[in-house]
Amino acid sequence: MKGKATFEDNITRLGQIVSELEKGDIALEKAVELYGEGVKLSAACREQLDNASLKITEDSGNATSEE
Amino acid sequence: MPVITVTQINKYIASILKNDRNIQGIMVRGEISDYVRHFRSGHVYFTLKDSESAVKAVMFASTASRLRFEPEDGMAVIVSGSIGVYERDGAYQLYVNDIIPEGAGKAGAALEQLKKKLQKEGIFDTAHKRPIPPMPKKIGAVTSLSGAAVRDIINVLSRRYPIGELYAVNAQVQGEGASESVCKGILKAEAAGCDVIIVGRGGGSSEDLSAFNTEKVAYAIYNCKVPVISAVGHETDFTVADLAADLRAPTPSAAAELSAPDITLLYEKISILDKRAEKAALAILDRCTERFIAMNAKLAVQSPENRLKLTGERLTALDRRRETAFLRYMDRLERQLAEKAARLDSLSPLKVLSRGYSLVYKDNKLLNSSEKLKKGDRITVNFGNGGAEAEITEKW
Repeated sequence: MKGKATFEDNITRLGQIVSELEKGDIALEKAVELYGEGVKLSAACREQLDNASLKITEDSGNATSEE
Repeated sequence: MPVITVTQINKYIASILKNDRNIQGIMVRGEISDYVRHFRSGHVYFTLKDSESAVKAVMFASTASRLRFEPEDGMAVIVSGSIGVYERDGAYQLYVNDIIPEGAGKAGAALEQLKKKLQKEGIFDTAHKRPIPPMPKKIGAVTSLSGAAVRDIINVLSRRYPIGELYAVNAQVQGEGASESVCKGILKAEAAGCDVIIVGRGGGSSEDLSAFNTEKVAYAIYNCKVPVISAVGHETDFTVADLAADLRAPTPSAAAELSAPDITLLYEKISILDKRAEKAALAILDRCTERFIAMNAKLAVQSPENRLKLTGERLTALDRRRETAFLRYMDRLERQLAEKAARLDSLSPLKVLSRGYSLVYKDNKLLNSSEKLKKGDRITVNFGNGGAEAEITEKW
């Protein structure tokens, strides 16, 4: 699943984790688990940015007009 | 027949002309001649003529200053304004609001009409403008794939937003069928799942922008389900595409920049989230630690060890109390004893003896009368500090 998650998926999930941690009313064990997940997500996000290269799709548009 | 004045005539004519809608707010085609810009006032005077006739025209300084070009004699133009009377000379003339060069003039007039129409239909309403998504997954570009615009967009996005995806749809941006091609391109980009679409062309102001000045394109942009950024490079005039778009960019590069955040901002965003996560986690840890310390303190109070200690302390205290109480009690006893002893001492018969009395015993029994004594009995006399044995020789 981690391999398929997009940058946006990851950073969105990271944002959710931060919000949940910031609510504060969670068990320590859960907090540790969330924090661990957050660290992983953040690393994944950075890696995705580091390795990103613009994906370009060209659509010849009107050349095929039957669409 | 009443006699009237010249002024009355001119005023009357003026009022008639002013109320005739056919000559108020009109556009007139013609050629400029005798063009003069008055040196001091800034008012502009000229004659507008065609092959058969001419009309005097005046444009006041306030409106003339807004002209984007300098009219000159011989120029074919479309003039907008109203017919009025110059009462001093009894001459009617054209009071001009705007002059449009005829080259672009025809199209210009039509364009103005189109803009007014679309305005009325709400196509340009700011209320309809949607925000650009903060982090688009797929950015659409509808432009000529052989033009400079798409290269500029690719360059900017590769540098600033490599995490994204560009869906570039080829569209014919000028010539016959261009507007249809642009409309189709917008639909294709939308169907491809783009979450923001850049529509435009490169080249700048000298290029033909007519494809972007059509009702079709305006509606295609208006009806597009995702936000559209126009990039029809033109400095002064906005095309209807610009006006209908959710956001207008001066160039395709600028449109690309507006379409997505810069990667450095994304790194920053991650850093900020990291810090927030750390701070929040530490806060939770702190709170748990505090609670643990508080609990632990409570627990320590209840521990057997502590109770033993407390009991020991209480025992020691009791012990000390007991000891002092005992000592005090002993003291009192001693004092009482001493008092009693002193009193006893004063009552002692021995004391009496020392004053000259003696105690007489017979068979170890104290005698207090001579009654039971007979001659020959042996008695013991106690003097207090000594004693003697005696024999009774006489009795009375």
